[in-house]
Amino acid sequence: MRKSDSLTQHVDWWLFGIVILMLTMGIANVYSAAYDPDFPSIFDFSQKYGKQIMWVGISLFLGFLVFLIDSDIYRKFAIPIYLFCFSLLILVLFTPPINGARAWLGIGSMGIQPAEFMKIATAIALASYISSVNVKQQNIQTVLIALAIVMVPMVLILLQPDAGTFVVFTSFFFVLYREGITFDPLVLKFVNVIPGIKFKQTWVGSHFIPILFYALFLSIITLLMSKNEYEFIFLPGVLIPGFYGVLSVLILLAVIAYLIFSWFSTRRERGRIILIVVVGWFLSSLLASIVNFSFSSLAQHQKDRIELVLGISDKDEKDGKDYNRNRAMAAVGSGGLFGKGYRQASVASVRSNHVPESETDFIFCPLSEEWGFLGSATIVFLFLFMLVRILIIAERQRSTFNRVYAYSVAMIIFYHFAVNIGMNIGFAPVIGIPLPLFSYGGSSLMSFSIMLFVLIKLDSQRRDVLS
Amino acid sequence: MNLDGRKNVIIVFFFTVGVIYLSRLFFMQVIDDTWKLRAQEIAEKRKEITPPRAIIFDRHDKKVVTNKSYYNLLMCQEEMTEFDTVEFAKLLGWTPQKVKNRFYEIKKGEGRYFNKNIGKYQENYQPQRKYPFIKELTNDEITRIAPHLEKFPGFFEDLTSMRFYPYAGGANIFGYLSETNREEIEADRFYRNGDLIGRAGLERYYEKELRGQKGIKYVVTSALNNAIESYAGGKYDTLAKQGAPLKLGLDIDLQYYGERLMKNKRGCIVAIEPKTGEIIAMVSSPSFDPNLLVGRKNISENYPKLALDPGNPLFPRPLAAEYPPGSIFKLLQSLIGLQEGVITPDTGFPCTKSMVGCHNHPTATDLRKAVQYSCNPYYYYAVKKIIQQGKFKSNFADAEAGLNKWAKYMHAFGLGRELATDISSVRPGLIPDGAYYDKWYGHHTWAFSTIRSIAIGQGEVKVTPLQMANIAALIANRGWFYTPHFVRSIGNKKIVTKNQRHRTLIDAQHFEPVIEGMRRVVNEDGGTGKKAAVKGIVVCGKTGTAQNPHGEDHSIFISFAPMNRPKIAIAVFVENAGFGGTWAAPIASLMIEKYINRKVLDKDKEKYILEANLLHMIAKPKKK
Repeated sequence: MRKSDSLTQHVDWWLFGIVILMLTMGIANVYSAAYDPDFPSIFDFSQKYGKQIMWVGISLFLGFLVFLIDSDIYRKFAIPIYLFCFSLLILVLFTPPINGARAWLGIGSMGIQPAEFMKIATAIALASYISSVNVKQQNIQTVLIALAIVMVPMVLILLQPDAGTFVVFTSFFFVLYREGITFDPLVLKFVNVIPGIKFKQTWVGSHFIPILFYALFLSIITLLMSKNEYEFIFLPGVLIPGFYGVLSVLILLAVIAYLIFSWFSTRRERGRIILIVVVGWFLSSLLASIVNFSFSSLAQHQKDRIELVLGISDKDEKDGKDYNRNRAMAAVGSGGLFGKGYRQASVASVRSNHVPESETDFIFCPLSEEWGFLGSATIVFLFLFMLVRILIIAERQRSTFNRVYAYSVAMIIFYHFAVNIGMNIGFAPVIGIPLPLFSYGGSSLMSFSIMLFVLIKLDSQRRDVLS
Repeated sequence: MNLDGRKNVIIVFFFTVGVIYLSRLFFMQVIDDTWKLRAQEIAEKRKEITPPRAIIFDRHDKKVVTNKSYYNLLMCQEEMTEFDTVEFAKLLGWTPQKVKNRFYEIKKGEGRYFNKNIGKYQENYQPQRKYPFIKELTNDEITRIAPHLEKFPGFFEDLTSMRFYPYAGGANIFGYLSETNREEIEADRFYRNGDLIGRAGLERYYEKELRGQKGIKYVVTSALNNAIESYAGGKYDTLAKQGAPLKLGLDIDLQYYGERLMKNKRGCIVAIEPKTGEIIAMVSSPSFDPNLLVGRKNISENYPKLALDPGNPLFPRPLAAEYPPGSIFKLLQSLIGLQEGVITPDTGFPCTKSMVGCHNHPTATDLRKAVQYSCNPYYYYAVKKIIQQGKFKSNFADAEAGLNKWAKYMHAFGLGRELATDISSVRPGLIPDGAYYDKWYGHHTWAFSTIRSIAIGQGEVKVTPLQMANIAALIANRGWFYTPHFVRSIGNKKIVTKNQRHRTLIDAQHFEPVIEGMRRVVNEDGGTGKKAAVKGIVVCGKTGTAQNPHGEDHSIFISFAPMNRPKIAIAVFVENAGFGGTWAAPIASLMIEKYINRKVLDKDKEKYILEANLLHMIAKPKKK
C-alpha cells in the first residue's frame, strides 16, 4: 500500500466546503432562533448559540482527529466498533428515562445519544460485511446476516423508544438494494414452492426494497390527498377530489418518465420502455385505487387512528393533537418569498415558544420564516448538492467497503433531510429527528460530523486501496 | 445482474423528493396565504390603543367634559403563586369570601361567548390571559394597594382613563358612556369588547369625533399570549390620536345656575344665542350630576335609581317633551295674520269671552295690546280670519285651505318638524294640518269652529321647549333662525355655515308691532310678565299658561333681551306651576340677567325662586 503524501491530499474540497458552510449557517440560525436579548453575545456559552459554537468546535476537532487516523482502522475494527456502540445501546436502556425515552447516556447536560453513533457503526459494519461476501453467490444466510446488522439495533432503538432514529435505520435497506443484496433467496423460497415454477431470480425479489417503499409512499400520499379537494388556478370553480389528483399526477409522471427514458434509449428499447411505463402506471393506479377504496370503507374510528398517525386529523385539532405540525407549517408558510428578516421570526422564535423545539428538530421553521422561500430553497439545494456529491464520491471508490459506507452516509442524510423538512411542510408525520448540521444538539452534530469526515478521509485514501 | 443502473434509481429518488419539496415550499410560502393568516392568528397580534376621548370646552373655554385617569387591577392566573387570601382580602378591604366569589365570577363569566353552532353559551376562560379583577380603582385606592402587590404575583395595576365632569351640571346635554354591546361591535369595526360608546347627548351624537383614532401596535406574542416584542421593529405601528376638542356655545356657569334655579321644580330652560343659533343653556329638571354615570361601577349603582326616579331625570325634556304651547303661540298667530294681511297692527277685536274664556283686562284695541294683555278672544277672531279667508264657497274647503297655509307658516317656524339639532332624541312636536283633521273627523267635515283651540296654543298643537326657545330666537332675529345647536367648532373646523340659516315666511317689518307687544308684556302696566323685568335691560317676553290633563297648568315664558341687538333668547317651562307670569317669567329674567350682566343683583327674586318648591303641585290633579 502506498500512503498519501500529506493529510490534505485528495480531500474532496466540495464536500468539505459544504459541511463547513452548513455548520456556519447552522450556528447563525440557532443564534437567531434562540436569541435572548438579555444575552446578546453569540459567544455566550450559557446560551444555546454559545453551546452550539462549542459543539461545532468539538465536532471539528473530532473531524481533525479522524483525519489523523488512517482510514484502514475502520476496515480492521469494524466489528469491535459495532459491538462497542451496540453495548452502549444496551446500556442506555438501563438509564432513567428523560422525556419518556431512555436515549441519553452521560452526566447532566453533557449526555450523548448512542443511537446517533450506532448509525456510523452500522454503516461501517455493513460496509465491512458486504465487502466480504460475493453478491453473485448470495444465499439466505447472506441476506439474513445483512438484515441482522441493520435490524437488531433497530429493535433496541425501538425499545428506548426513539421512533425517529428507528425510521432512519430503514435507510440502510436502500444501501442493500444498491449493493445487490436482494431478497430473491427469500422470495424464491416461497415462489418455488408452487409446483411447476422454478425461477432463478425474480424481478420483485431483486427490486423488493424500492418497490416496497414506492408502494408505501404512494399509499401514504393517496391517504393524505384523499381527504381533500383541490381547485386549480386554471380551472376555477372545479373542485377535484384528491384521489383523482393522485391519478392525474401519476399519468403526468408516467409521461415524464417516458420522455426522459426515451431520450436516453435506442429505438429498439423504446417498445420495452413503453411497456414498463404503462404497466408501472397501471399497477400504481391500481394500488392507489385500492388504498383509496379500502380507506373510505373503513369505520370512522379506524380512519381517525390512521389520520392521527399520519398527522392529517381535522382542522379542529390545530390546537390539540396537530399542534406541533400546525405551528411549524404556520412558521414556514408565513415566510413569504423573502422572509421576515434575520431574527424577526414571530412564530418560530424560541422565546415566542409557539413551535416547540424550534432550535432542534424544528430548526427549519425559523430558517424558512426568516429567509422565506429563498432561504428554504437554498437549504433544499444545499442538501441535494451534498447528496449528489456524496453519490459521486461513492461511485468513484475502488473498494466495496468505501462505496457501501458512502451510500450509507448519503441515505442517512437523505432520510434526515426528507423527514425533517417533510414534517415542516406537512408531508411527513412529526417524528423527532434533527436536520443534519443545522439542528442544535451535541450528539447529532458530532455524529454527522464524524460520519462525514470519515467519508472524506476514506475518499482521500481511495487510491491506497487496491481491490 | 447489472447493479450500475441502480445508482440512477437513487439519484432519481433524491431529485424527485427535492422537486416535490421545492414545489411545496413555493406553494406554501409564496402562493398560498393560508399560513400567513394562521401565523398572524397565532403570534402576530394587533394591539389597539384607545386614546382618551376628546375634551369639550364651553363658550368661555372652560373645560366642561374632560378625562381623569384611573386604574384597573388585573389578574393572570398562570403567573400567580400560592397566596394568603385573607391577607389579600384585607389589602382590598374585602372579605375573603368576596375574593373567592370574584375569582369564581371571572372564571365563569369572563370570555363567555355564545357559540352559534351549538346554540349555547360556552366558557372561554384562559389562565394565561389577563382579566380585570377590580375595575375603576381611584387614585387613593391604588396608592394604598399598589405597594403591596409585590407579595401577590399575578396581580397588576393598569392605567386607563375615564370621563370627568368638573361642573356637576349638564348631564342631559353631555350624555354618558357605557360599554359597547354585541350589535354595536358587529356594526362598527372600530369597537372591541369592553370599549366605551356614547349613550346619550353629545357623547352619542359626536361619538365618531370624540372617540378619536385608535393606535395599532403589532406585537409578537408567545404561546402564553404575552407580548414579547414589537413586530418588525414597530414598522407598521400607528399612534393613537385623541379626537380634536369640541367647542360648545354652552355657557356652563349659566347652565349650572339654571339647574340650581330649577331645583325642586319640574321643567326646563332653553337659552339660545339668536344670532348664531348656539344653545347657551339647556336645563332639564330634575337633573343629576353627570359624574354619577361614569364607569361601570357607578352606572350599575346609579342608573337604576335614576331610571326609577318619578321625576324621570333621564328623560331629555327640552328635546323630547311635547307640550301645548299656550299663549306664547299668539305671537306666531299675530305674525301669520300680519303676513297674510288679514289683520293690521291697528286691528282691534272685542274681548267677548263668548267663544273662549279670558281674564279681565282693558280692551285690546290694537295688536300690541292684544299681545300685552294676551287676550284670548282677540286671537279667536284673528286666527279665524287666517283660517277662513273666504276664498272657497264651502266653509269646509275654505278651512282646509286656510289651515294648510297656516301649517306651512308654522313649519317654517321650525314647528311640527324635528329641529335638526346636534343632539339625539329630538321630537318633532305637532302642527295639525288638513290631512291630520281629515283623519280625525273626515274630509270636509270640520271648519275653524271645530279646531278653534289651536288659536290660543291649546288643543292638538304640541311644541317642545327647544322649539319654544327657537320661537323667541326667530322673533329676536326678526324673521330668521339658525337650527339650535351645541357645537360651535371641532378643532379648527366650524360646524354651522351661513347656508344653514332658515328664513321664516314672515317679512321683517311685521315683527315690530309683535315685539313692541312683547316689550309691554314685561315692562308696562297690564303686562302679563312683569316679573321678568330686569333693571337696565329691555326684556321682551310672552307668558303662556298651558292647560293639561296632568294637574295644575304649565307655566311658560319665552323672551329675548335686549330688545335691540338681542343676545339671548330663552324659553322657560315649569310643569304644573300655574300661571306663566308667576314662575317661568322670573326664572327667565334671572337667567337673562346672569347671562348679560354675568351676575344677578336682584337677590330677592333669586331667593324667591331658589327657595320655591313646586313639586307638591304635581301630585294633585286639577278638577275640571
